[in-house]
Amino acid sequence: MKGTIFSIEDFAINDGPGIRTTVFLKGCPLRCAWCHNPEGWSPLPEMMHKPGGDELCGKEMESAALVALLRKDRDVYAMNRGGVTFTGGEPTLQTDFLCEVLDGLSGIHTAIETSGYCRETDFCRLLERLSLVMIDIKHPDPALHRRYTGVDNAPILRNLSILKESGKPFVARVPLIPGVNDSEEAMTGIRDLLAGAPGLQRLELLRYNSAAGAKYPMLGLEYNPPFDASVQPVVHQVFQGINTLIL
Amino acid sequence: MLTERIAKLKDYFFDGRHHGVRRTPEALGLDKLCEQYAAQALPAETRAARLFEAMIEAEQPCIFEGELIVGTRTITRVPSYFTQAEWADIKAAHYLHENGMLSNISADYTSILQEGLQARLEKMRVRRCTADADGKLFLDAACSCLEALQKYIGKYECCARSMGNEPLAAMLHRVATEAPSTLWEALQLLRFVHFGLWESGAYHNTLGRFDQYIYPFYEADLAAGRLTKEQAYELVLAFFLSCNKDSDLYMGMQQGDNGQSLVLGGSDAEGNSLFNELSSLCLQASCDLNLIDPKINLRVDRNTPLEVFKQGALLTKRGLGFPQYDNDDVVIPGLLRKGYAPEDARNYVVAACWEFIIPGEAMDIVNIGALSFAQVVSDSVPLLAGFQSFDDYFTYLDKMVAERCETLAGSLKNLYIAPNPYYSVFMNGTIERARDITTGAKYNNFGVHGTGIATAADSLAAIRKFVFEEKSVTPEQLNAALDANFEGYDALYHKLRFEAPKMGNDDDYADSLAQRLLDSFDKALSGLRNERGGVFRGGTGTAMYYITHGTNLKATPDGRKAGEVIPANYSPSMYIRHRGPVSVIKSFSKQDLKKTINGGPLTIELDSTVFRNEENVEKLALLIRTYIQLGGHQLQLNTLNKEDLLDAKKHPENHRNLIVRVWGWSGYFVELDECYQDHIIERIKYKI
Repeated sequence: MKGTIFSIEDFAINDGPGIRTTVFLKGCPLRCAWCHNPEGWSPLPEMMHKPGGDELCGKEMESAALVALLRKDRDVYAMNRGGVTFTGGEPTLQTDFLCEVLDGLSGIHTAIETSGYCRETDFCRLLERLSLVMIDIKHPDPALHRRYTGVDNAPILRNLSILKESGKPFVARVPLIPGVNDSEEAMTGIRDLLAGAPGLQRLELLRYNSAAGAKYPMLGLEYNPPFDASVQPVVHQVFQGINTLIL
Repeated sequence: MLTERIAKLKDYFFDGRHHGVRRTPEALGLDKLCEQYAAQALPAETRAARLFEAMIEAEQPCIFEGELIVGTRTITRVPSYFTQAEWADIKAAHYLHENGMLSNISADYTSILQEGLQARLEKMRVRRCTADADGKLFLDAACSCLEALQKYIGKYECCARSMGNEPLAAMLHRVATEAPSTLWEALQLLRFVHFGLWESGAYHNTLGRFDQYIYPFYEADLAAGRLTKEQAYELVLAFFLSCNKDSDLYMGMQQGDNGQSLVLGGSDAEGNSLFNELSSLCLQASCDLNLIDPKINLRVDRNTPLEVFKQGALLTKRGLGFPQYDNDDVVIPGLLRKGYAPEDARNYVVAACWEFIIPGEAMDIVNIGALSFAQVVSDSVPLLAGFQSFDDYFTYLDKMVAERCETLAGSLKNLYIAPNPYYSVFMNGTIERARDITTGAKYNNFGVHGTGIATAADSLAAIRKFVFEEKSVTPEQLNAALDANFEGYDALYHKLRFEAPKMGNDDDYADSLAQRLLDSFDKALSGLRNERGGVFRGGTGTAMYYITHGTNLKATPDGRKAGEVIPANYSPSMYIRHRGPVSVIKSFSKQDLKKTINGGPLTIELDSTVFRNEENVEKLALLIRTYIQLGGHQLQLNTLNKEDLLDAKKHPENHRNLIVRVWGWSGYFVELDECYQDHIIERIKYKI
């Protein structure tokens, strides 16, 4: 079947171990206030007005064609303890397509970057095919989560429990957004959510990207973050016992 | 970390505070000597020796506070030993390479450090007894030069003594005659010998396999307890720093293009790694010094441990534009293929930029000319309508490549290089033959750069696909669009520029066409011999031609507009959309690069943000190793920050120490001509 992707990048150095290629799947049910990839929101191809001229963002691709393209580099992945990472958008939104692709990539290390916001059945189907999961934890508080991402965090927390229980290797990622989730309370909440996870390899705290708004005008959108983007987020030292990396 | 002593000296030299001791040859009357020589009708070798002696006589010894390795140039320029009228006559009768002076070879530092200056002098005196008249003339000149160098060392000895620095004076006394026995002595003698090369008027004076010829001294001092590792490191720093004292006086195409390349690593005949503790210290010293010289090359192969690549990547992170990586698995077989003996091929070093040469043995002229692949293709496009198939068309191109190589080779007749008896002392076979190095050595090969390979291969890919296969563009349409520089041909421009297959995307369609062009180049050169009996070696470097070969080229079928620059060396076109560096290294390692043994690296620009995460040093090391394991021949990486470069153009005074890799060497960004500054800014593609 076909899926919609909006970019493929190799030597993706911040998307998992070794030398990896990252595939960006289009479409996302979340609207995080700090999102720097707004072209990942709509599931459909759309025109972007770039400085060098208009460019169609997103194209449909057969799973077999994507598999063939990715398999071409399997020697490079194997030489470098790397593989393929699927991100978005929200890749779980195209679970059927993604499962077909993953089935075609057997023998290759595969990872996903997900918000965890999807049906449990979809999450489980992907989980059994993936080598590594990188899951975002944006906020432990349901109301605040809704306010800043547009969705409830209950499905995310359910999938996080599944992930923890499965023992599958995973990385938790927390975007550090000033005034949104950089309180000690929020961070402690996240720490508690991650307790008792044998598969947790590490926690990555990602500093807010000050260039986040760059692509909005290209899509005819305005970037108006409901937080003060000019201040540095506070980093609380509450993650003792967890391998933590600040990026 | 720099020691306090070295940090102080670095600031002193970087600020140019030692420039006060410099005088011009005019102020010293040295520029007029050529007229005396002409009036006396002296032979060139004798003139070279006389001028060298006069330069040394006029040099003033300067020992700066805290200096461990001494020797500073105090004369701004080396004048010519021919008058301008004589040069005009020489030019009329000969082919001159660049300015006619000896350049871009590598001395045999190993043997002089084993033997010492006095032994070399005696060897020459003995040989003189049985030499013919020309031989005597040459050997007299060579002996005079070496005696002058000893005198120069003597001046420093007196200076050190008068300053009350007895240990330095005693050390200098020994190295004037004896073979060095310690690391300090070896580095000091190396400094003097290398200094002399510049003083002789030779340029692009390389440093060769420093970690191999210096290692025995390092090892012996440490084993005997004469030095701690820290003390040894300070000496290496002092030597590296000394390479920067006078380098603003060393001519090249641009400031910084001075050819002080130094090679580390490699492996022996049995495949054992020669990367040693000293190699590691050298990488560290470069990192800590943060200066443009010496320019480091790292010889690697498929078995080189990741740890070595990691040390290299740490230096890449520093942003100096080196190390450049050279792949023994490709280079050595490539040199064997061109007739180099196995022991010589294994001992290769790198010339000023990327050309592979043999220390002590080669009088190769590795940058004697260039073939523009892009021009060959561009010139053939008006004839496209006359070909039935792409293969017919390629047969024509193949013939064109051969014709241009023959024309180039045919133009290189009656080569003259101004004799340099001083340099000859440090090359092998010159004493036995009793002839100057400029008359030839064991290897006398010529190297030819191959420029614009990506522009040419991409153009051919577009022609093959749209004109011959799909027939969606007629030869007439294509020519009209190119003649109009795509004005009024927006759709075709877009199709050619963005929809055609390109090198850099790991697309065999384009990559295999590059291979065919390189094969043609290799085949064309393989039948040619130069007048010295040497062969021609083709390469993939552009040198400074990436500007001229681009600005003079009309619009090309790859969707490049007239005058748009071509990429540096062996690299993808700058406007292509590729998936990233993995696709690039795959595209540029498929070809049989043994056939392009004149060198010319894949050049990749990295944004400095790559290194925000420490783990990414290792990932970069993996990427470099992958290029080597896939069969790439040579790789150079630039770590840059676009904002810094743009700001440096506006406020050069704030960016005096911003270093960039230009085409095969590293220099200070603010000292470059604007066209080279802009090319580098354009090249920042791999912002990750």
